[in-house]
Amino acid sequence: MHMRKSIFFLMYLLLALNIAYGQSREITGKVIDAKDGSPVMGATIRAKGGKAVAVSLADGSFSIKVDAKTVDLIISFIGYNDQEVVISGNVMSVSLTQNSQSLSEVVVVGYGTKIKRDVTGSIAKVGAKELTNTPVTSFESAIQGRASGVLVQQQNGKLGQGINIRIRGASSVSAGNEPLYVVDGVPVITNDLSSNGAQTSPLADLNINDIESIEILKDASAAAIYGSRASNGVVLITTKKGKNGTSKIDVGYFTGFQKPTGKRAFLDAKQYVDYFTRAAKGAATQDVLLGYYDNIEDALTDELDYVESRFTRYSAGNEDWRDAKVNTNWQDQAFQDAPISQYDLNFSGGTEKTKFYASGQYLDQDGIIIRNNYKRYNGRLNLDHKVKDWLSVGMNMSFARSQNNRISNDNAFSTPLQIVALSPITPLIDPRTGLTSGALDLNTGVPNTNFPVYYNPLLSVGNQTYTTIVNRTLGNVYANANLAKGLIFRSEFGVDQLNQTEEAYYGSVTARNTGVPNGSGFYSSDQLLNINTNNFLQYSATFNDVHNLDIIGGTSFQKQTNSSSLAEGEEFPSDAYKKLASAASKTDATSSSTEYSFLSYFLRANYKFNNKYLLALSGRYDGSSRFGANNRYGFFPAASVGWIISEESFMENMKWINFLKLKASYGLTGNAEIANFAARGLYSGDGAYGSQAGQRPTQIANPDLKWETTKGYDFGIEASIFNNRLGFEVDYYERNTRDLLLDVEVPGTSGFATQLKNIGNLNNKGIEFTINSTNIQTKNFRWTTSLNFGANKNRITNLGGQVLGTDVNKAKEGASLGIFFTKEFAGADPANGDAIYFLNTPKADGTLDKTTTNDYNAAADVIVGNPNPDFIYGLGNTFTYKGIDLDVLLQGIQGNDVYNGGGQYMSASGSNGFDNQTIDQLAAWDKPGDITMVPEARLFYGNGVNPSSRYISDGSYLRVKAVTLGYNLPASFTKKLKIERARIYARAQNLFTITKYKGWDPEVNADFQASNINQGQDFYSAPQLKTIVFGISLSL
Amino acid sequence: MKKTFINILMLGVTLFTVSCDKQLDTTPTQSLDEKDALKTSKDVEVALVGAYADLGSNDFYSGRIFVCQDLLASTTEISWSGTYEQMTQMRNKAILVDNSFVANTWLDAYRTINDVNKVLSALSVVNADKKDKVEGEAKFIRGAVYFDLVRAFAKSWNDGDAASNAGVPLVLTPTVDINAGSQVARNTVAEVYAQAISDLTEAEAKLPDENGFFADKAAAAGMLARIYLQKMDYANAANAANRSIEYALDIGKDLMPSYADAFPTSDGNTSEDIFATQVTTSTGYNAYQDFYSADGRGDIQINDEQIALYEPNDDRLNIFYESGGSRYCGKFDYLYGNVHILRMAELYLVRAEANFRLGTATGADPVDDINKIRERVNLEPYGSEDLTLDKILLERKLELAFEGGSLNDAKRLQTNIALTSWNAPQLVYPIPIRELRVNSKLTQNDGY
Repeated sequence: MHMRKSIFFLMYLLLALNIAYGQSREITGKVIDAKDGSPVMGATIRAKGGKAVAVSLADGSFSIKVDAKTVDLIISFIGYNDQEVVISGNVMSVSLTQNSQSLSEVVVVGYGTKIKRDVTGSIAKVGAKELTNTPVTSFESAIQGRASGVLVQQQNGKLGQGINIRIRGASSVSAGNEPLYVVDGVPVITNDLSSNGAQTSPLADLNINDIESIEILKDASAAAIYGSRASNGVVLITTKKGKNGTSKIDVGYFTGFQKPTGKRAFLDAKQYVDYFTRAAKGAATQDVLLGYYDNIEDALTDELDYVESRFTRYSAGNEDWRDAKVNTNWQDQAFQDAPISQYDLNFSGGTEKTKFYASGQYLDQDGIIIRNNYKRYNGRLNLDHKVKDWLSVGMNMSFARSQNNRISNDNAFSTPLQIVALSPITPLIDPRTGLTSGALDLNTGVPNTNFPVYYNPLLSVGNQTYTTIVNRTLGNVYANANLAKGLIFRSEFGVDQLNQTEEAYYGSVTARNTGVPNGSGFYSSDQLLNINTNNFLQYSATFNDVHNLDIIGGTSFQKQTNSSSLAEGEEFPSDAYKKLASAASKTDATSSSTEYSFLSYFLRANYKFNNKYLLALSGRYDGSSRFGANNRYGFFPAASVGWIISEESFMENMKWINFLKLKASYGLTGNAEIANFAARGLYSGDGAYGSQAGQRPTQIANPDLKWETTKGYDFGIEASIFNNRLGFEVDYYERNTRDLLLDVEVPGTSGFATQLKNIGNLNNKGIEFTINSTNIQTKNFRWTTSLNFGANKNRITNLGGQVLGTDVNKAKEGASLGIFFTKEFAGADPANGDAIYFLNTPKADGTLDKTTTNDYNAAADVIVGNPNPDFIYGLGNTFTYKGIDLDVLLQGIQGNDVYNGGGQYMSASGSNGFDNQTIDQLAAWDKPGDITMVPEARLFYGNGVNPSSRYISDGSYLRVKAVTLGYNLPASFTKKLKIERARIYARAQNLFTITKYKGWDPEVNADFQASNINQGQDFYSAPQLKTIVFGISLSL
Repeated sequence: MKKTFINILMLGVTLFTVSCDKQLDTTPTQSLDEKDALKTSKDVEVALVGAYADLGSNDFYSGRIFVCQDLLASTTEISWSGTYEQMTQMRNKAILVDNSFVANTWLDAYRTINDVNKVLSALSVVNADKKDKVEGEAKFIRGAVYFDLVRAFAKSWNDGDAASNAGVPLVLTPTVDINAGSQVARNTVAEVYAQAISDLTEAEAKLPDENGFFADKAAAAGMLARIYLQKMDYANAANAANRSIEYALDIGKDLMPSYADAFPTSDGNTSEDIFATQVTTSTGYNAYQDFYSADGRGDIQINDEQIALYEPNDDRLNIFYESGGSRYCGKFDYLYGNVHILRMAELYLVRAEANFRLGTATGADPVDDINKIRERVNLEPYGSEDLTLDKILLERKLELAFEGGSLNDAKRLQTNIALTSWNAPQLVYPIPIRELRVNSKLTQNDGY
């Protein structure tokens, strides 16, 4: 606020000097905001056709002397629509309406705020209006599609789990690619503390409704003030504060339901039996070819015996499979009715001296997948107080407790969606026992070991719990002291304390999944403490009326310590005992701790000349414990310039251009998201053998390890035209990353597989734009549109010749990070049904040999897909008519591919196990001459199931991401009820998706393998949530 | 007041910042800088324990390498219904160059070699009374690892000229950094065998008679017996097997009373185990249990073709059991059971076969050794005149069934696997593609 006022004051001074005097009369008046009647300070009042100019004062009042000829006054102010009024009398009141893309908007930047007009970096902002009451677990989902160039991807539809954010593309191959998150000035803990192989999102602990704004610092000049951790962008989260004089109570509630966004189609009972009978025949042919049998008849007899004995087994020991008496749709069993409810209660208000915001929230959300549930309580108190006229202090303090009842990672037999592998001929209830299939083998008295085909995930219902509880306190206290005119000292001390426990119990009936007959339990505890202190001076001054200078400089220190412990036990007296106290055999116990620290010095200077020319310089000198003593400190400078052309006199005639700014920036940022002791050669004490302690080498040293550095450029235009009805921003950027922190493959004969080294380069370049338009604005109806678009091209230019990646995704020179690099599938050989692949070996003339082979090893790996989208976009439309508002957000990504890692089982021509098959496998090769992309069904002969383009498909989608229909009850009505404001609404999330992807949902990345390189993998991953809620908000 | 406040604040901030600089010196708590890791005798001894832990890695002496090799040698005697594509490739004799189990076997093995090379490089700090033991164990591990590496990744000893066939790279010094010299070429099969024999011979000399579950004289001699048999150097095989048996008997080891007792469902080694990978509830992994036991994944089922090989009274038939309509092998039913790497029954069989082939009776008459095996499982003893090589080989096959030796026996005995020739390239692992990418000196095996 302070800065905003001082800038207004400056403008006032500037303009006041230019006031021309003439033969005249004096008009006085007041400029007010049309919306709330508050005075507008700093508005320019001009005589139309004349030279007279005046500026409104703090109370909005103005006085202007105009000549006799002047009929009209033009009143203008940044962020408001120009207003032309006919002079009537000598005292007049002018009300200005704010335009939609308010350039006077204050944006939060590192260690301060700025007016959007003066920003020379690239910053995307998402405000409370867009975020409030989004029915999602974690706030990242709420910004999806709302900020250009920010790719938000939720790994799957499990609650509170991993979300990946890429700002202007990935900048690293082995180090972190997630942005730095700063809440009210404190860099927060983002460690994934999950023990079950699937990431959780520590940011889910934030109450979305507490967020006032989210600023995403995208280019180097905006982010470089965060130095060594800014390469992936910085997300600044600012929480709400009380406002002067408006004490109020806000009550909110919504409730609704959630459904999966999509399902897959699988074979039914009859199709299953027919298909695997055919697969047995296919196998018999191969048996003969391998010489296991002399003739096809013998082979066929054995194979058919085998497959029929299996049908009988999977039919619960009877022959119901022969006429499809049982036809179970297992997939439906993995999903559940999923209600969601959220309760909010806020108090806020303030006086000149003290402002407060207090909030509480309770979220209770069931997952769409069985056994998945999330509950969270949040409390917050934000307080600001002016102790002296030169000293103000404050705090932002929040507490969160969440309980996430989680399910296994995507790769576990017990993850509910792996249920689709079970045979449709298997009954839900085993008629022999009257229990869930798999629960009991009457012969042994323990759960079946080989019925159904795999462990039945339904056995986990009520018999397996995995509970993650997080208690988190996040907050900071600060003091602001005005040391002298224009000189402010600010000291901030922030704490983020996160205590997490994970507790699991696997009952005896889950033995087939755990391998442990009498129950197993697990308990882990993580205690994280992150402290941060920032101390800096701010100086702002104006010289000779045209030179504005604004400098901040200071230090920052951050230290995070993690300590963890874990215990496991087995052999429980019965499933009634679920705590480790009852485990007869304590099978594992560990404790560990680690820490890192950053010490930083930063400086930023902003200079503005004549209100038109902008220059910003910043630098940060960062030291980190993560690097070796040789390269412990790094320097990250940035510079940017801006030119507000619309302020130039030659633009005066182009009235339709309200605002036009050109900007350019250049800077260096770093990436330090590596393991805490990555530079050292290490022995670890985890080499125990047969209960004897042992140590072994675990890491090869690299004393030269240093920062990964990204050099970024950005060129941008911001404009607002047609009376501020249409605003747009366009940015072109390039980000070149060098000295990649890379897990470089080394010869295994050395005893090590990889070494962390600074090798390699990659770049991202792209274009982004946003368009905001007020399409229709009448007294009662308003329609605005907002479009954001980002196209990023990621290219690895140097990896020292390596190809990295353990799965189909690879990091490879000349290609985007994570491209799918494998064999190109050519379908079934029409002659014999073998899976065939294009050779793709280079020929003498440089082209690739497109002949086919059934020898998988002979075919060369080629790029068969790319998980990175060509572009991402969001299109928002808002309609308001009297008290009714409708907001529709479309969100999409285009040009990315998804690899179905589960395809090797579920779409495998029945050649890789008795897994039920997707319906498209019915097109399998059957007889010579058949032309099909599905090879012959051959039980356990793995026909075409190795990684290939067979399992790649287009993952582009367009989603109706969010729809809100609201109705603000008329004031006349609410007054009677003695409430200030009342609103009812319906809100839908992921309402509808248009995609060619045949799986559950194209927004997917299998949680157990997600990494920088592994992207766009689907592996029995839960689909996203389609959510519809109905809510009410009251202000009292 | 304002001035005082500001002065105090400034002083505080300055002091705090200065003190923070030291905070950048953090130290790991679960790890040790390598320069501090091998300073005392105790340090080296625990590093040796760490080498055993790496030896027992998932794709090495946990047994998975041997389960894989049995799959490679399998035909109709088993059914495979597993979902690990890496193993389906083994079953189908069509290993891909990027098979991750193959790559991990390579990495696990060489990690273990680096572990022991580090130990051997630090022998000077080991207390004099322990030096021989430490050196012997380290060399036992290195010899055993090279033997299993060369058998998996190179042509069989008897397939062409071992002195010119490419084996695996021999690395005998610890890695201190990664440089151009880290790219090493393959030594010949003969050189690798020679290194393994030399390491194990030294180990046998230096190891104690009795050494708990760690390697002892019997283990080193037993491993040598295996190598010589694989080389078809029967005289040395008979001698080594005989020494191993003698060492073992001296410390009270012998065949367990019944066949089932050799495969206990409880913790610890049996007195028949010459060497076994230790598995506890918190460390180690038993891959045999995982793949063979119906309580594990149960991916391997035993077919009638296997059963038909046994005589009706053979007690070894009782090791198989039914579950859910399929037959499973019950040798490995205990989740935390130790992985039997070498047990005495094998040594009797080696001694018998080698003696029989040579017409000698080193340590015992071949028929006595064979009858020792047979009598334990309720079979009629052979008369010495009845004994044939085929009978010895059948006894070996049945006694050691599903214990990981079938592929190398097939190669040694030149027995084709259905239509796949005993020396077909697909029965040799490919050099992992990841290794070829980073080491230009390596050559790929035929057929890949």
